[in-house]
Amino acid sequence: MKKDTTPFFVGYLKPAKKLRSFLLAVGVGLALLLTTFGIVIGGTQDDPGYGSFRFDYGPQTVSGVVEMLPYPILHVTDGNERVPAGETLMLTAGGKTGVAQRAARFDGKKVKATGVVLERGALNMLQLRGGKRGLDAIDGEEATAPTPEPLGKWKLAGEICDGKCLAGAMRPGRGLAHKACAALCLIGDIPAVFVSTKPVEGADFLMVLGKDGEALPKAAYDYIAQYISVEGDITRHGNLLVFTIDPGTIEVLE
Amino acid sequence: MSVKYVPVQWNKNKWYYNFFMVAGVAGFLFLFLYVSPQLLSHEKSINPQVHNARAFGACAFLMLSIILCIGPLARLDKRFLPLLYNRRHFGVMTAFVALTHFGYILDWYFAFSKSSKYETLIFSNTSYGQIVGFPFEAFGLIALVSLLILATTSHDFWLKFLTAPVWKRIHYLIYVAYISVAAHISLGILQDQQNHAFTAIFLVAALTVISLHVIAFLHERKSGDPKAQSDTDGWVRVCEASEIPEARAKIAVLPNGDRVAVFRMDNKLSAISNACAHQNGPLGEGKILRCLVTCPWHGFQYDVRSGRSPAPFTEIIPTYKIAVRDNVVLVDPNANPPGTYVEPVEVPA
Ligand code: FES
Repeated sequence: MKKDTTPFFVGYLKPAKKLRSFLLAVGVGLALLLTTFGIVIGGTQDDPGYGSFRFDYGPQTVSGVVEMLPYPILHVTDGNERVPAGETLMLTAGGKTGVAQRAARFDGKKVKATGVVLERGALNMLQLRGGKRGLDAIDGEEATAPTPEPLGKWKLAGEICDGKCLAGAMRPGRGLAHKACAALCLIGDIPAVFVSTKPVEGADFLMVLGKDGEALPKAAYDYIAQYISVEGDITRHGNLLVFTIDPGTIEVLE
Repeated sequence: MSVKYVPVQWNKNKWYYNFFMVAGVAGFLFLFLYVSPQLLSHEKSINPQVHNARAFGACAFLMLSIILCIGPLARLDKRFLPLLYNRRHFGVMTAFVALTHFGYILDWYFAFSKSSKYETLIFSNTSYGQIVGFPFEAFGLIALVSLLILATTSHDFWLKFLTAPVWKRIHYLIYVAYISVAAHISLGILQDQQNHAFTAIFLVAALTVISLHVIAFLHERKSGDPKAQSDTDGWVRVCEASEIPEARAKIAVLPNGDRVAVFRMDNKLSAISNACAHQNGPLGEGKILRCLVTCPWHGFQYDVRSGRSPAPFTEIIPTYKIAVRDNVVLVDPNANPPGTYVEPVEVPA
């Protein structure tokens, strides 16, 4: 009769000595491997960019002229230390909703706006407080928005995303993993932004609109967060560049 | 084996098993969540919600990879069998880690809008017609649902309720889960990072899972159980009696594809079905402990002569008629009804 030497293990019995040391080694090895992966993967996350909410500034109140693009922007006329006059701010509400409806009746009018600033380099946004405390007309005062200055036709490479997450509401606030969130913001009327790989007149970020100056057309939604090239016209509104694109010219880049 | 269902039948080995499992997961999460942010020299930190989501997501992927390596490893080297023993705890924990990842993502990327976050999960990104920019969240959802089904049906109650073959088939969902997770990662985060450390880890893990499965498959094809040779009167030859060690068995594949296990106990041979009533574990790779055949997977036990579990347990498996001629072990390939007593056949020591 043959002899049998293979180890045998049943869960409720103590494993044989030799098997015990093997299992101990496997257990310790696996636990250490997982732990090592924790620090390796955690320690190699990409930089999410430098945009952020400036809660540290506290709520800011400025006055200026509203211009509907149709995303609302504010040309600051009376600023403060944080938000100087001449600044152009994109406007938004809390969460993933814009303020196009609220701001529409103030188009071309002088207003007082209060909210929290979101800042990412030259990209500035103001998240308005609710109701009149956030945005209200200043009666009797006249002011006009600066005349738009056409900068001609451009073909740019970069990415379409929502201005709010990019400005720092989320870090990271762009890229393919963030695509659904960007689309959700844009559906909620948050201003769309084009992040250009090469600066245009010193700006990396441009507000992006449809061909006829409408909000980002649905045809461009499939390309949100993707690396693309697109053609259109650039116009300067205050110190904000606005890129009106023809979605038909979008090409996906590698 | 149980007569009454309790959430978990604890024993020392399960505690050890869970200790290492929890230690690995806790180590991973602790370093990822609390230590790694200090190593990153970012001007502004990643949002905690995103950092947490990444930690739990990556952890779930690695846990799933380890779980899927255990099966083929145990087939290649019997010493890994104990890792199989408590694998379901590992699976349940993975489902919880994956669910936490889902929670962070849902409450961040899909929240804060006017619609419910469950709706936004469906309609935010509808670019289903493209690869880059595909709503990769859908794959994550498939994986999560699969893992949750597996976790909820992991208990023995479900095994008994659904019957072992159905249960086993449902549990192939683990492969659906893994493939979906791989797609979720490939179309999601891998498309969206500059540092490729995770890409490398992902590839190594996935390739390990795949190659271990291939190797175990080839190994089994080469050194799988032998086919029983036909003999007179429709009986089949299994092996020589002297090949069977005391308290152990030889397995053979019968003409109808079933497997028979011929055991030697006190120099008497008995033939029973090789498939355990619990989860089809290979009884023939088990051992007779205190007069009972003990399944190598979870330790269910059977009387080798009758295929019956000792009272109060009620599991029964088929037995086979057996004879020995010129030292050759013969069995009748027509199985007896489960639980039928067969007189063992005496053989020389
Ligand atoms: S004890 Fe679970 S398969 Fe045999």
